Amino acid sequence: MEPLTGMGVMALIGAAATIAGASEDLESDVGSQSNPNSQVQLAPQMMYPHRIFNKAVSGEPPSNALMCTIGGTVASVLMSSGTSIVLALTIGAILAAAVHGTFSVSAHLGRSASQKRFKQPVYLDIIRSHVPVIMGYSFITTFCILVVSYLMITVLQHPFPLPLLAFIWGITVGAIGSSTGDVHYGAEREFQNVEFGSGLNAANSGNIVRKAESGLRNGIDNSWFCAKFGGPVTGIAFGMTVFLSGWITVVFDTTKGDALGWASVIAGAIIVLVLIIWNRNIEVAARNAYGPYKEDEKAEVAA
Amino acid sequence: MIDIAGILTANILNIVLITLGGALISLAVHFVPVGGAPAAMAQATGVGTGTVQLAAGAGLTGLVTAGAMMNVTDSMLLVLASGAVGAMIMISVTMIVGQWVYVYGVGCPPVSAKVKYDPITKDRQDLYVSQGTEGHGIPTVSFVSGVIGGALGGIGGGLVYYSLLIIENVAPTTEIVGIAAIFAIGIFFVNSVIPSYNIGGTIEGFHDPKFRRVPKAILSSLVVTFLTAIMGVLAIGGL
Repeated sequence: MEPLTGMGVMALIGAAATIAGASEDLESDVGSQSNPNSQVQLAPQMMYPHRIFNKAVSGEPPSNALMCTIGGTVASVLMSSGTSIVLALTIGAILAAAVHGTFSVSAHLGRSASQKRFKQPVYLDIIRSHVPVIMGYSFITTFCILVVSYLMITVLQHPFPLPLLAFIWGITVGAIGSSTGDVHYGAEREFQNVEFGSGLNAANSGNIVRKAESGLRNGIDNSWFCAKFGGPVTGIAFGMTVFLSGWITVVFDTTKGDALGWASVIAGAIIVLVLIIWNRNIEVAARNAYGPYKEDEKAEVAA
Repeated sequence: MIDIAGILTANILNIVLITLGGALISLAVHFVPVGGAPAAMAQATGVGTGTVQLAAGAGLTGLVTAGAMMNVTDSMLLVLASGAVGAMIMISVTMIVGQWVYVYGVGCPPVSAKVKYDPITKDRQDLYVSQGTEGHGIPTVSFVSGVIGGALGGIGGGLVYYSLLIIENVAPTTEIVGIAAIFAIGIFFVNSVIPSYNIGGTIEGFHDPKFRRVPKAILSSLVVTFLTAIMGVLAIGGL
């Protein structure tokens, strides 16, 4: 393959992956999925009934893997019967979004209804307004991941079949979204009632913010906030993962011999080393900027 | 009729390699700093997701890179190194972006609550733990531990995939690739779940006292992976 073609495809894959990552995180913010949902689930039990969509179909990686595998399988079947590629990927993603929408409704109804004893209402308008948004985001995520997987198979000659590659990237995007963007939702947006940077005392669990910038807060308000930071950085994380792991084999073309293969491994190791150093810089800067939470007892005694 | 004894004796080395790969994955998961649900609320050190989820995310990215490399080379070492690099990239990118969120989005400095001084940087830790939490963010020692975990997981996953793919059979290669990858993913998940019982939701890395429980998990993994390896070898070798 021409190096320039390879780089162009990698750029396209990276862009699609970035969009997939961002939409995956925003989907989990609108619908409240994964770990931060434990607080949404806990709130009514602590006497804080709310209007936030409460689903958590499963952990994010399995849920996204399911969506992407459904999309990949449908697209694969359609392509084998001669359907155009764009149409096949689109129909696959639509079906995946429909399945995800179904799970979202049943999960939300089940979770809310089970909290009747804590006086948590089931808001039908929340379902009407949130489910289309959730399905929209899941469509974007699935479509972009299918594009990434399809390009990897056809242009970069990856040996895995489309549904399998879509499954793996689904697991990965879920793992990344759950590890990065969700923290912005769980540690900051849900607890804006405590001072920024003060840390979240475990005693505050369940006391989530229920009032919005205007009116009562719902999942769409949360995605509005998280779209400013949590969503984009999740996109960058997934985009970087997909791009960097493929880029090293495009720059050092592994098909031209084992020596270039080893060069790609070394390039990857250097990238990781740079990230370790960058992380250390952030750590030092944060410690200097924020300072300790408490004084050193020995220093106090000496003074 | 499938010659079960024949397939097993012909592929005894593959079974050993798969079992070893499974044990490596099990060891790797202990290195990965996961904080589970508390970390998603910045109440515990580590990455804010579940053990299995993160380990599988990293290991499977390693499997994608190992699979791509396996397509163009016969060198086992290169396939394993490629798997390690893929997993290391995924886990380091996840950790550094997670760190951005903890530092810039939540406003907490990265800190470990399990040790008083970071074993690598020698920085004081306990003063930076906010009230009512078990640490937050990813301090250097946890980051390095996560990278080691990613590398071991990638090598383990690559070893399982490689050993499954070289089993002799009469099925077309394109189909074997899919089946071998699915078995490798299955073995990866099994060996990510076993350490979860040791970890119990949160672990900060190799400096965490829970890390000392590793031998039990490796022993369990050896037994379980040995059984799954026999099934995998029979399923692929019998095609």
